[in-house]
Amino acid sequence: MRIVGALWFRNLKIFARNRVQLVFTIIMPFFFLYVFSAVFKTPGIDDPVNFMLAGITITTVFQTALTIASSTIDDIVSGFMKEVLVSPVKRIQIAAGQLLSAATISTLQGIIILIIGYFIGLQFSNLITPFLAIISMVAVGLVFSGLGLFLAALVKNSQTFQIVGAAITMPLTFLSGAYLPLSLLPSILKGFAYFNPMTYTTAFFRTIILEKTSLTAEQLVKNELAFKIGNFIITPPISMLIVLIFGVIFMMLATIVFTKVDFSKINRSNSKENDIFQ
Amino acid sequence: MNNIIEVKDFVKKYGNFTAVDHVSFEVEEGSVFSFLGPNGAGKSTTINTLCTIFDKTSGTLLIDGKDVTHKKDEVRSVIGVVFQDPTLDNKMTVYENMKMHCYFYNVPKGEIEQRIDFALGIVDLKEWKKSMVSSLSGGMKRRVEIARSLLHYPKVLFLDEPTTGLDPQTRAHIWDYIVKLQKEKNITIFLTTHYMDEAEISNKGAIMDAGKIVALDTPHGLTKQYTRDKAHIRTTDMLGLETKLMERGFHYKKREEYYSVVVDDLPALMDLISERKETITELEIKKGTLNDVFLEITGKDIRE
Repeated sequence: MRIVGALWFRNLKIFARNRVQLVFTIIMPFFFLYVFSAVFKTPGIDDPVNFMLAGITITTVFQTALTIASSTIDDIVSGFMKEVLVSPVKRIQIAAGQLLSAATISTLQGIIILIIGYFIGLQFSNLITPFLAIISMVAVGLVFSGLGLFLAALVKNSQTFQIVGAAITMPLTFLSGAYLPLSLLPSILKGFAYFNPMTYTTAFFRTIILEKTSLTAEQLVKNELAFKIGNFIITPPISMLIVLIFGVIFMMLATIVFTKVDFSKINRSNSKENDIFQ
Repeated sequence: MNNIIEVKDFVKKYGNFTAVDHVSFEVEEGSVFSFLGPNGAGKSTTINTLCTIFDKTSGTLLIDGKDVTHKKDEVRSVIGVVFQDPTLDNKMTVYENMKMHCYFYNVPKGEIEQRIDFALGIVDLKEWKKSMVSSLSGGMKRRVEIARSLLHYPKVLFLDEPTTGLDPQTRAHIWDYIVKLQKEKNITIFLTTHYMDEAEISNKGAIMDAGKIVALDTPHGLTKQYTRDKAHIRTTDMLGLETKLMERGFHYKKREEYYSVVVDDLPALMDLISERKETITELEIKKGTLNDVFLEITGKDIRE
């Protein structure tokens, strides 16, 4: 446990030390808020500020978690993982430290957005809502850092990860209903959206932020907080369950791949180039 | 003295290719053991298997009496490894790197600070404790790595080409630290190097070629067995010396400005030299080096 804690703290420190990254992590949500402020004024949505903020917050948590988990690649390339390899540390401990720190950073970012949101009109009537929101963000952070770690351990190269990461976050974000209502999508894409873990993540997180846990199923479907597939209605609690199942799958994949990676054979061409100048 | 490392009939195959072929050797506790061989001889495979990174195909490898395949974690806690490529965490300070290592090896909490100071003291880097690793020079990073590998008091320290790419002065310093360590802490040092002069300080050396150990002895024993001393003689009377050398059956070679004579029979050579002392301008006895041994055995230069 001490090792997981130390690794978690190390990753947070490294994140905080990278000033540019830190500044942009804080600034980025402002861009989203600015761009989507136009949507806030759209008539027809109840409580437009909460509606949009929920989407922005949860997609940011998702994207940050996925990206931060990829810092594992830097560790592999820098040789740090090789040190771990000959020490009595279990690889699962390394993976746990990585996942927890990615979830922490993404949750903090989500909290920043919610705080900014407070100044532009985000309001909760129930005191428990912020806590539920934070717990959900941690969970979502863990789920998608699992996906991030899985991809990172699979591609083992920062550049490749950027491409793969973008190729995954874009469709997952825009086919989730977070920014664009699913009802606007053509039916083929809607079909895709039902296989997207982010669709369910957005739905249950939005339900929490909009404090609409007490609505009837029909009302939820109308508000796009629940989905009717055939005769079956996926309510927010079921959405949450689906996300958690995805999470378990991602975590398992991540740990399996991460414990199997042969770190001693990683192509370290970047560091070899630097040798010329030594 | 008991053996801290014991390797018996170690075989490692990659598909049909046999990288290491029935290798056996022992390393005494507290000694410096150097492992030499051209690239591709199987020495990295052997070292990686001893360090628990690779799995063997067959044979027995024991470190401190523990099997490296079946008791990986126990073996890992008694070995320290300094790899050829740097493995420091560049984004952290020297101190943070060392502390993380202490966590990895379960160093008792109360001892961490004191051990870090001690290890940094050995490599003279105490005043760099708070610096970012990325700001250190190549030689300093190596020293940090050596210091770090000592934090958990390993019984065996594996050094895989610890001084490659460093300037001669830094190399000499690092060797001072290593020898100091071995003497003070009685740590067994298992070393691979490309610099043959570095291997001379070891108590025993093994030369590996094509997956087999072809020679195993003390550096002195190796040079004695595989090389012969040569006398380089410069003279004002080249022809006169050559005639005498031929007459008395010496093995010699004529170089541009001197004769290189194999010293098989030292008294006979001394007689010849004293007879011709007026004409001899320079005499130099060349001892055989490990590099010569290496060339003799493998037919390859080690730097290849």
